[in-house]
Amino acid sequence: MALLLEVEGLTAKVSGYTILDSLDFSLEEGELRVLVGPNGAGKTTLMSMISGQFKPYAGAIRFAGQNITGWPPDAVFQSGISRKFQVPNVYETLSVFNNVMVSLKGRRKVFATLFQKLGGEEADRIWEILEFVELADKANESADTLSHGERQWLELGMLIASDPRLLLLDEPTTGMTEDDKRKTAELIRRIAQSHTVLLVEHDMHVVRQIARKVTVLHMGRRLAEGPLSEVMSDPMVREVYLGKGKFQ
Amino acid sequence: MSGIALADAITKKPVRRVRRTPMLPRWALIGGAGVVALIGSYPYYGSNGYMLSLLGKFLCYAVFALSIDLIWGFTGILSLGQAVYFGVGAYFVAVSLKLNYTLTHPTRYGGKIPDFMEWNGLTAVPSFMAPLMSLPFAIVCALVVPTLLALLFGVITFKRHIYGVYCAVITLAESLILQDFIIEYQAYTGGFNGITDYSNYVGAAFLWFILGVTAVFFLTGRVLTHSRLGTVLKSIGDNDVRAEFMGYNVANYRIFVFCVSAFMAGAAGAMYAAWVGLVSFLDTGPVYSVEAVIWTAVGGRGTIIGPFVGAFLVKGAEFFLSGTLAEWWQILVGGLFIFVVLVLRDGIVGTIANWVRRRSAGSFRQIAQEADRKAHDRQRDWQAEGATRHGEEAR
Repeated sequence: MALLLEVEGLTAKVSGYTILDSLDFSLEEGELRVLVGPNGAGKTTLMSMISGQFKPYAGAIRFAGQNITGWPPDAVFQSGISRKFQVPNVYETLSVFNNVMVSLKGRRKVFATLFQKLGGEEADRIWEILEFVELADKANESADTLSHGERQWLELGMLIASDPRLLLLDEPTTGMTEDDKRKTAELIRRIAQSHTVLLVEHDMHVVRQIARKVTVLHMGRRLAEGPLSEVMSDPMVREVYLGKGKFQ
Repeated sequence: MSGIALADAITKKPVRRVRRTPMLPRWALIGGAGVVALIGSYPYYGSNGYMLSLLGKFLCYAVFALSIDLIWGFTGILSLGQAVYFGVGAYFVAVSLKLNYTLTHPTRYGGKIPDFMEWNGLTAVPSFMAPLMSLPFAIVCALVVPTLLALLFGVITFKRHIYGVYCAVITLAESLILQDFIIEYQAYTGGFNGITDYSNYVGAAFLWFILGVTAVFFLTGRVLTHSRLGTVLKSIGDNDVRAEFMGYNVANYRIFVFCVSAFMAGAAGAMYAAWVGLVSFLDTGPVYSVEAVIWTAVGGRGTIIGPFVGAFLVKGAEFFLSGTLAEWWQILVGGLFIFVVLVLRDGIVGTIANWVRRRSAGSFRQIAQEADRKAHDRQRDWQAEGATRHGEEAR
């Protein structure tokens, strides 16, 4: 399979600290990759770099044959990458339906949106998505009436609506109850059947439920990569996770 | 998926129905027509010249407040310098009318140039101002120049990811600069005294003209905010980071709505100058902008009717009460603003709309409290999120 995302020698520095240290990383089309690692390993920073929130200090990011290094977020999105933030990030005053509507793949130019009408096909697609994330009942409610978990699902729905080639999901289960986590994991598993997904996840239950291939980051470098069982039995990874490294 | 959830989904197939408010609900159409008729027919049933002049003024104020609502209420950009665009529009028309007036009405020293030019030692209209002799040209300037200024402002701020408080401060500074400029270059602007003493257009015909323009602008505002574009604008106001990561060039949207709003403010200023016959540096100042922000907040930001209601109520109360309450009036307006911010977050129209929409949900007071809580939550989320925006990260 062809490489969809290629990260080469990526270095990120924030006020003198090196967060990512010439990281190499790649992702194949259709893959579901879980990114794990202790706090401060650089997982979220990697996502910020790919999605254009931060500009890298050095290195290159190539996506689907384009060099997207340093592109602004809206341009990165246009190239086919949608990102989910750690905190639920929806449009609070819009209705659930409209949240998905403005996220639909389509024209994003000012004058194009001025004359755009909601087509029947588009409406069907929105309903399909709302039913998928089980929010169809609340389509007409404003998003600020949703619970924490529902907001996370709504944001997942918005990402699907944008029909990306790659989804970046940053800890979508943060702050959820166990039931909600299971449901989220199930949603992600189903999304991954038709999308390429890069997922940051702390919760090992969730990781076990969905992971095929795992990448472990530590101190801005790639520590290990491979199938979940293999990676988790790696003594170095165990050390990092159990925090022994500090005392040796 | 658990079996229970699946069973639920089967028994309770959700109905695919979107609640959409029509572009022009019947009550708005009837109410709007009623207001237009009431104001438009005033010359027939009213004989009070003062009232007539107030009506024209208030319409200009309403358009000005609408221009603030479009950027503040719908897109979340607070401008404290919106009066710049109003003032520029007003000055173009006032200067043009003044130049033409002095052609037929020489000053008392016999000059055929405006008195303020004469006092400052000019003997002829400067060549760069001569084109303003043509009123149509001046009107075009009054509309185009504010729009271009807004475009310039938008490009240098929004494109550089400056908004929020910083943006408000910059617009405030912009307003102060223009005021200084007007006072400093008094030979061309009339300085402190402003521009006065020219033939203005008070009367039924011009009232209808203002009324027509106002109606068109309010309809435009409704069409704009009811379109997909309007939804995108609201989403940007809600969460600009999300919108940006959803592929929207947030800066371009802000610039667009800022230009539309400057155009409306310029038009309001132009009509105001022609109607009132007096334009001064106060009409471009921050105090005037803040006043209009208050009208919008009182009426209901984020609603189209709000600015109209707010401008008429606050300004109307001012004209009728400031006579008896002279020095207390400003304190009253300030108090009103604080009251609205604390108690009626969504303004008069917004609160009524919430109440009508969900009458079953509780009392008027509960709904006001809910709006308050939501506004509070939004503020907290916004602070907690603390996401670094593109362009301001450490490199």
